[in-house]
Amino acid sequence: MRTLGVLLRKELHATFTSPIAYVVSGVFLLVAGYTFSLSLFMSKVANLTYVFHQIYILLILLVPVITMRSFAEERKTDTLELLLTAPIREIWIVLAKFLGALALVVLLLLASTSFVAVLWLFGDPDLAPIGGGYLALLLLACLLAALGTLWSSLTENQVVAAAASLGTFLMLWFADSVAYILPAPIDLLFVNLSLIGHFAPFVSGSLFLSDVGYYLTGTLMALFLTARALADR
Amino acid sequence: MLPAPLAAPGHRVVEFENVTKRFGAFTAVRDVTLSVGSGEILGLLGPNGSGKTTLIRMLTGMHTPSEGRLRVAGFDTVRQPLEARRCIGYVPESHPLYDHMRVREFLPFMASLRGMDTKAVPAAVGEVVESLALAEVLSAPIRTLSRGYRQRVAIAQALVHRPSVLVLDEPTNGLDPRQIIETRNLVRGLAGRCTVLMSSHILTEIAQIVDRVAILLRGRLLTVRSMEETPDLEELFLSLA
Repeated sequence: MRTLGVLLRKELHATFTSPIAYVVSGVFLLVAGYTFSLSLFMSKVANLTYVFHQIYILLILLVPVITMRSFAEERKTDTLELLLTAPIREIWIVLAKFLGALALVVLLLLASTSFVAVLWLFGDPDLAPIGGGYLALLLLACLLAALGTLWSSLTENQVVAAAASLGTFLMLWFADSVAYILPAPIDLLFVNLSLIGHFAPFVSGSLFLSDVGYYLTGTLMALFLTARALADR
Repeated sequence: MLPAPLAAPGHRVVEFENVTKRFGAFTAVRDVTLSVGSGEILGLLGPNGSGKTTLIRMLTGMHTPSEGRLRVAGFDTVRQPLEARRCIGYVPESHPLYDHMRVREFLPFMASLRGMDTKAVPAAVGEVVESLALAEVLSAPIRTLSRGYRQRVAIAQALVHRPSVLVLDEPTNGLDPRQIIETRNLVRGLAGRCTVLMSSHILTEIAQIVDRVAILLRGRLLTVRSMEETPDLEELFLSLA
């Protein structure tokens, strides 16, 4: 655990001394704030359903930018050699990278809770779907950060890592659409792979263990594959 | 202060036993058997592509051997990788450093990463800063350092946890004559205190620094000679290559 702490401090330092963190935060807060104001004034309803769907899209677009540098930059500058020849297990390196990326997303989600405060001050929001929505966004962020970290571990080119991550996220988003043209039972597989299919129930206030399991299993699998990719020498 | 004098001079600290490394169909290192004694400075000499870096990377755990065994201080690099790596300080050829850090952040980070006790880190950092004359750049961001200082910081990170084996891959690449002399003196100063394995393709550099030289060509170990019995390294190299 001490090793994880040492590595995580370094990751957080790298994340927050990079302009990427500030550009991503600026874009996120601007677009989310704009969406919140617009939906509130248009609908005059105290809920965040529309905002959660907008943040879902923002995460799909922004997480590749956050994770692209994690391993790709270390490969490019050869500093990965310092980490891989140190007496530490690969899994600690992977977890530190993953948590370093996730920390920024969690901070952004925390900043977006100011929307809840506004609804609370001026209305009477139903807190169940709001709580469900934030849980869904957190689980989604875990899965996207893990997949982005995996892609970053496979290349030394940050643009390639970002493009491959974005492509994967979009494919997972639209996986259930492909199901319409596939025969049973393969269509079920694609329906169950869908990011949005496992996201929407949370936002409407329904919590299914299968949805939680989807995000957690995907996250753990991606982290395991990243550790394997590093261990393969 | 650099690593303390070793207890048993001549004791084998690094052992390569029939080591082979393949990358697909290409064999980078072929059946190398070699050992390095405690406190000894061994040079790996060979042209570019002869397998020096691959051999070093297998020793440091960056690559695993396709065949054969490697031991560092008695620890098998495949079966006991963490124990073996704890004994090694490594300076890769490109001197990789974290540019976003300052020197005073980077050295404690590397010491902690190599498993050094938190309380012992400040003293250990102070010692390498003094021995490598890094005091004046301690607060400088690494990205602003000259090539010479980068190389010194790279060596400092390898020595900060007081390893028993120091591995240097082409340590004088890209340095000016003064920096080359400084590096040579530094490595010579480690003789008897730390086992040093360094690679180079420069004959004069090897001749002036090492106790023994191992000559590699196309992944094969051609010979291992003591410098005392090799008055003309250039002649030996040409006769083999």
